[in-house]
Amino acid sequence: MTREQRQTMTRITHETPPVRLDWRHHLTETTGILIAVILGLMLILSLVEPRFLAAQNLANLLRSASILAIISAGQMFVIIVRGFDLSVGATMAMVSVVTAMVMANVPEGTATSLTILYGVGAGFAAGAAVGLVNGLCVAYLKVHSFMVTLGTSSIVVGLALYLTNGIPVYGMPRGFSSEFGRAIWGGLPSAFYIGAGLALLFWVIQNLTTVGKYIYAVGGNFKSAVFSGLSANRYLVMAYVISGLTAALASILLTAQIGSGQGSIGGVLTFQSIAVAIIGGVSLQGGVGKIENVCLAALFLQLLTNAMELLRIQSQLQAVILGLIVILVAANDIRKTRSV
Amino acid sequence: MTRSKQASDASQNELLRLTGITKRFPGVLALSNVNFDLKEGEVHVLFGENGAGKSTLINVISGVLTPSEGAISLYGQPFRFSSPQDAREQGISPVFQEFSLIPDMTVEENLYLGREETTHGFLRKKEMRRAAMRILARLGFGIAPNARVSALPRAQQQMVEIAKALVTDPRILILDEPTASLTEAESARLFEFVRELRAQGVGIIYISHRMREIRDLADRVTVLRDGALISTVHAQDVTDDEMVELMTGRKAGVLYPRIPHNPGNVMLEARDLHTVRDRVRDASFQVRAGEIVGIAGLVGCGKSELVRAAFGLEPIDRGEVQFDGDTYAHPTAAQSLEHGICYFPADRGAEGLAATRPILENASMAALPENAFSIRGFLRKGSEKSRVQEIMERLQLRPMRLFAAVGSLSGGNRQKVVLARGMTRGTQVFLFDEPTVGIDVGAKAEIYALLGELVAEGAAVVLVSSELPEILGLSHRVYVMHNARVVAHLEGDEITEDRILSHFFTDHTDAA
Amino acid sequence: MTTATSPRSREFVATVKLLTFPLLILAMFGLFAMFEPRIASARNLVNISSQSTYLIVFALAQTVVLVPRGFDLSLGNAVSFTSVATALALTSSFAAGLPGYAVVVLGLLTGLACGTAVGLFNGFFASVLGIRSFIVTLGAMNICYGLSATISGGRPVFNVPEAFTTFFYSGTFAGIPAPILWTACVAIAVHVVLSNTVFGRTLYLMGCNPRAVEVAGLPRRKYFAIAFVLSGALVAIGALMLTARTGTGEPNLGGNLLLQAIAAAVMGGVSLSGGRGGVFHAITGALFITVLSNGLNFLQISGYLQQIILGLVIILAIALDKSRD
Repeated sequence: MTREQRQTMTRITHETPPVRLDWRHHLTETTGILIAVILGLMLILSLVEPRFLAAQNLANLLRSASILAIISAGQMFVIIVRGFDLSVGATMAMVSVVTAMVMANVPEGTATSLTILYGVGAGFAAGAAVGLVNGLCVAYLKVHSFMVTLGTSSIVVGLALYLTNGIPVYGMPRGFSSEFGRAIWGGLPSAFYIGAGLALLFWVIQNLTTVGKYIYAVGGNFKSAVFSGLSANRYLVMAYVISGLTAALASILLTAQIGSGQGSIGGVLTFQSIAVAIIGGVSLQGGVGKIENVCLAALFLQLLTNAMELLRIQSQLQAVILGLIVILVAANDIRKTRSV
Repeated sequence: MTRSKQASDASQNELLRLTGITKRFPGVLALSNVNFDLKEGEVHVLFGENGAGKSTLINVISGVLTPSEGAISLYGQPFRFSSPQDAREQGISPVFQEFSLIPDMTVEENLYLGREETTHGFLRKKEMRRAAMRILARLGFGIAPNARVSALPRAQQQMVEIAKALVTDPRILILDEPTASLTEAESARLFEFVRELRAQGVGIIYISHRMREIRDLADRVTVLRDGALISTVHAQDVTDDEMVELMTGRKAGVLYPRIPHNPGNVMLEARDLHTVRDRVRDASFQVRAGEIVGIAGLVGCGKSELVRAAFGLEPIDRGEVQFDGDTYAHPTAAQSLEHGICYFPADRGAEGLAATRPILENASMAALPENAFSIRGFLRKGSEKSRVQEIMERLQLRPMRLFAAVGSLSGGNRQKVVLARGMTRGTQVFLFDEPTVGIDVGAKAEIYALLGELVAEGAAVVLVSSELPEILGLSHRVYVMHNARVVAHLEGDEITEDRILSHFFTDHTDAA
Repeated sequence: MTTATSPRSREFVATVKLLTFPLLILAMFGLFAMFEPRIASARNLVNISSQSTYLIVFALAQTVVLVPRGFDLSLGNAVSFTSVATALALTSSFAAGLPGYAVVVLGLLTGLACGTAVGLFNGFFASVLGIRSFIVTLGAMNICYGLSATISGGRPVFNVPEAFTTFFYSGTFAGIPAPILWTACVAIAVHVVLSNTVFGRTLYLMGCNPRAVEVAGLPRRKYFAIAFVLSGALVAIGALMLTARTGTGEPNLGGNLLLQAIAAAVMGGVSLSGGRGGVFHAITGALFITVLSNGLNFLQISGYLQQIILGLVIILAIALDKSRD
């Protein structure tokens, strides 16, 4: 039967119009709270500690926040599909080492741009490979992701250290480190532009494409997604590959900034990325999470770190505070889902 | 339209034919050698008790399960489904009881999930919005396309589910008890729509065990019992009683034992119970020793939550529960058990049994704090074993293997293990929540007989059931629930199918 | 129904299954010994058994929370925290001139207090507030890391008094080396708790089906919290033994210990989805990991490579766990 036939038979009874939503609806509760907290924190900091407003401090802050946002964006996709990626730190170590080694070992006389291209390409390949292994294990072994990623992170860090014997890898072209990694373009650090571009890309994916919808669907209710005819496992794996790729991108930016490939990079970033995602309202129950809130949460966390540095709070105590924040936000997440 | 004549017309095109379908699960034969066919423009009802194999059959038809044996032909061609998607692409749209919606997405996103309209991978949101509104309007359901599914009441979720099945213009539509949570007005609208689809030539497989619906809609009826095909009949050729006989395999009335009503003291009373999430509103009931009290109502009306709240499994906002001379505002399961009240959950898999643990541990679970089972927190394993053995012998567990994992047992044996729990301690009040779901007729009769024995010994029994014949056949008194409230209390001769059903459907929208 | 397997043959199959893994460990040991005969020396055997004691205790700690379907990521850092805090208490009390037995008692109390505090923290958030245990323990892992790094300044705490190291490491009681004796006591106690008490039985039942346990009126939340506290106490005992062995409070034990404890428990047959596994499994799993790393050390395999192998063992353990269901 054709659609036309059907329509002629249709008696329009009463059509219910869509609920009218204005722009405010699109800003969730989380967005509002985060913006308020960020502005408040900035205000207090600028009053209490004038060094906060120094151009150098702001540039560093923005660079670190951008890198954190990039990793957390990948973590967000994994949490949306009800997983956790504990291997992002390890992946960063691996990518850093691989990128630096490739750049340091290209044949003499290769053009700088090609050298960078090879290094960056190898880095992304390494990141995607880790993500793929994680994704395949989670999708087909059906084990909780944190066990799988704990295992792969041990393997990947071991590999990164084995390849370098734990010694930093030097010899990257200046065009990569000082002219890109530490560069300030138009008053803003290079990493910021890349982070903003990535955020825009993910916003488009989440809001305007089927891939974004499918990832939400797989996380919201896996069985329903299968019943609806989606190749659910494909989107599950995709989330982990995205996380591997974002970890790679963050690592490349960080490696460029430091100027050497290091197997010890990314240690605390795994936990920070999870913290950012959770603070940014990505639900631990799956199926919920927006890139814009994750970016705001990254900025918030970096501001907090910056504040503690400026106020000379021991860096180890930051771990304690972060741990508490994550548990409290998780408790709030539980409360929200229960009250529905 | 003279549908009955049309239905019997042999020249109608055959859409689907299943031959010799068998499906085995570990330890269970869910379907054995079933034949089934569906013609263009007919409503073919699948009729049978819970656990008769209806769900397995539609899962096979919609590609969710692959049959262990047997052949399927679709539109005259032999066919093998490899996935639900595969079946869907062939024009088969199932509407399961278990919802296939993503709670955190909107209605329109759900309707088009997996078949979005796109240009170069980008969503064409406006077009989908328009189409979604058209479908929803056509069904006559007042649902906004951008409403979040998790925020909709259950009945509206069911409607979205049906709307979703229609997005693809199916040739075969499967409806699995679609009215289980709909009001009468909503059901009527749905029936009208089903007839409309039939007139357009869609083949409809309709699962129900409500006589009224079958009379209203069915062209042919296929009766299943214990996984086997009993008969396929034309709806107008059989009477209601004959159909029930086909379903249960016994003369109507024989299945249910005659249980004498000797009401004694009030054993459990709930007064104006109101649960935290409003699943139960100001509901009261009481049960006396020596009687069976039925609680009837639509799926999702709160009947299960009512007994769960009285037992101590649902958080209570206000109201009170009285047993053993004491009043409790917030009873706990441990307190209830201590006072001889035991609850037997409907979903034995999810709430009753620890599947990988042995029968012994499952049977003694609720009685562990008792002296026969433990002293000062240390288990008395010898005493535990002999007690459980004794009880399982009374319940006729076959084979008697106390250390076998519960997961390897049949539905009937699993229910026996759950029942054993009530007997490990001196239980006087038995709260049964859908006690015969997923159990074959033989085991059902055993359980009914056991209920009779218990009541004869002076126990108080509460029977929550969605199977009306069970309520009608066993209860001495019946409470009917609708929309979270107790709307009627029937006794003796008042307990008839018509009276209960009339309360199922009337909207009691009191101002309170 | 005809039973194809008689009770006796079923028991036989069960025994064979139980012995497969220990035999596998023996085979691996034999293989290593073929490459490096010193591995089979009496001295190394003593070495392996004393090395394995620590891991056995930590694997038991992980088992106690895995059985009720929990998970403890904070284990490694909780060991560091306990170790550093105890060492600080010991050195300062020793400096204050306390007698030997008092030093031992003080160390024991400090350690148990720290370990159970972490367990209580995890248990509270995981059971009372109902947050998934692995996110709680991930938070606790960072908190412990921060605390141990802060109180120690990131450096090992030296000069743990001898009375303490004798009691937990170098001493012998009735000819039995201290670590083996204490580990045996712990293992027997945990076994009794898991298989002979209402609490232990409930842990298995709730690991298999938490809602069924609630319907049966058993105190699920309370017992789940107690499981974490018990696990914390076991972590503390292991940490004390480890501190006595190295003679220092170690702030950086963290990750590797956690991975080894998980690998040992799961490899030994404790189920990741709860409800299965016990003391026997934790011990065999810990022996497996110890024999493996002992062999690799003798063959002079680099630490980095060993880390890779440990990761692979974890993935293998997950796959095995899956295949047992």
